[in-house]
Amino acid sequence: MAPLQLSHVDSAIIGVWRWQAAIATLIVAAPAFALSPSIPLLWPLAPTLIVLGGGFLTWWWPTLAYRHLRFGVDETGIAIERGVIWRSRVALPRVRIQHTDVSQGPLERRYGIGTLKMYTAGSRHTMIELPGLRHEDALALRDALLAEGAGSGV
Amino acid sequence: MASDSNFQPTLRLHPLSWVFGLSTAIKQMVLPLIALLFFNVRDDTPGPFGPWIVPAIVAFVAIRAVWVQLTFRYGFSPTGLVVREGMIFLNTRYIEYARIENIDTERRLLHRLLGVAEVRVQTSTGGKPEALISVLDLAAVQDMRERVFSEGKPAEQAVAAPAEDTLLHLDIGELVRHGLIDNRGMILVAAAFGVLHEAGVFVINEELFDRLLRSSSAAGVAALGLVVQIGLGILTILGALIAVRILSVILAIVTFYDFRLTRLAGDLRARYGLFTRVALTLRTRRIQAVHQNESLLHRWFKRVSLNVDLAGDSGVGEGNGDNSRSKTRWLAPVCPADAAPALIAAALPMLDLNAEPDWQPLAPGARGRIFRKALLWSVVIVTAPAIWYLNAGAIVIVLGCIPLAWMHAHLYVKNTRWALARDAVLFRSGWLNRRLSIVPRNRVQTLSIEATPFDRRSRMASIYVDTAGASAMTAGIRIRYLGADVAERLAAALYGTAGAAR
Repeated sequence: MAPLQLSHVDSAIIGVWRWQAAIATLIVAAPAFALSPSIPLLWPLAPTLIVLGGGFLTWWWPTLAYRHLRFGVDETGIAIERGVIWRSRVALPRVRIQHTDVSQGPLERRYGIGTLKMYTAGSRHTMIELPGLRHEDALALRDALLAEGAGSGV
Repeated sequence: MASDSNFQPTLRLHPLSWVFGLSTAIKQMVLPLIALLFFNVRDDTPGPFGPWIVPAIVAFVAIRAVWVQLTFRYGFSPTGLVVREGMIFLNTRYIEYARIENIDTERRLLHRLLGVAEVRVQTSTGGKPEALISVLDLAAVQDMRERVFSEGKPAEQAVAAPAEDTLLHLDIGELVRHGLIDNRGMILVAAAFGVLHEAGVFVINEELFDRLLRSSSAAGVAALGLVVQIGLGILTILGALIAVRILSVILAIVTFYDFRLTRLAGDLRARYGLFTRVALTLRTRRIQAVHQNESLLHRWFKRVSLNVDLAGDSGVGEGNGDNSRSKTRWLAPVCPADAAPALIAAALPMLDLNAEPDWQPLAPGARGRIFRKALLWSVVIVTAPAIWYLNAGAIVIVLGCIPLAWMHAHLYVKNTRWALARDAVLFRSGWLNRRLSIVPRNRVQTLSIEATPFDRRSRMASIYVDTAGASAMTAGIRIRYLGADVAERLAAALYGTAGAAR
């Protein structure tokens, strides 16, 4: 897989991830601030940790994740590399793609990006996701992958 | 297909089909029905319809079963199998002959008494069978098999029915060995314990316990010497172990009685079962991988077990009383070790398995890593209980972990090898329980290279070769502790051939 040229996705995905992390942090932090003053051992520590952890996940983690998310397309198929601590690279030959989805959540729509989902007949990697493509790029990539990949899939 | 649009299926189900429809429906709602019956009898204020609610439900289900039978039609159109269900909500299903992969039958005791079978028509689509036809008589099933498989392959139509040759037949002796090795009785006993526990059998009744302790037999045991007491204990444990093994043997004989693996025109067929007769077609072009398993007991008996992953099996069954998906597709639940290569070759006819593959070891640092990991885990698990029970003696136990972990690492690395053949990738692993997986290169779905922080520190990676047709836990091949560059090269080679495959 070495000769495959890998490139980053659209950096707008960082914004989506930041919003997601911020919302998740709020959901966890609100009850922590409301409840923990009444529990003696938890009071200053638990909310502080949640704020620090949430801040890290909101500010730094998305850029790190973005830096390690890369993908490449060649005539055989597509490869996706991801993971900051646990790294993985999945290579999916295009003849193995059963069908594809391009999905867009509300935050992704706001930033104009979409997620390309590729389904295979495999057992563990039945669905492989590539987030952070500009929506029109995701559609174009889907069409390019499907154009020649009319195989039976198994 | 246009000529098929006005094709009307005319064949009907077996006249007694409603019996099976009724029994399946009742089996599905047996618990609510019992509860309803129970509460209605006991309760002073019965629900609507009073005591008649259960018979009313059963009657309704019976009428529905008869209705299904009367309105069900199937037929063989020029290009496909047509199944029509219902009269008011009409559902017509059309399945092209060429897409039909398996026609499996299952016959439980009642089916066999009445000479009928439940038929599952499967296509390459995963998940539940495309059509579940319950029930047909055996002549109709045979007729369906012949029509479907001859129309799908017109080239072979001219050839007279080829002889079916038996590849493997398991006699009682083999099944006894399988039972001894497999020890499935243990699972049964565990399940029984679970049920009894749920039912509250093990809640200790103090009065009963007291009476038992004061009884003459308890006094007799207490009066015996320590050695005899220990002897009695050991005998009890041995007796229980033997009983479980005997149970396993009986279970093996019931499940796999008269197991016969045959080859007909290149496709494999397995038939087995004492009460529930199962007939499976394993079409060789659907076979995704072959796994050979060899436990310690297998080696003592010089036996192995072989199973295959079949495309279309991976989907999770959606009820419908269909549990065939959770079953292992056996090529041979047990077979002599020297017969295994021939069976594997029969299952993967497109592979050239004569040449000994070029077995490659794991990365040089693998043994050290496995040793450290095994040692760390065993110490973590063992230390606390050892100190609790033995106090200072715990040091012996904890130190004892070192040679054991070393032995595990050494034997694991020694027995774990992978090979990339021209048309397949092979992986054998484990030392106590040895497993060999063979995946044809044109069956590879996706490849992934994974690296944990530990992997990266020692420049290693694991590769996972995904295939279709198995559960996420057992599928494909996962090779850990490979050199990072080796994993890259292996993945690149497999990616190339998988992408070229059709």
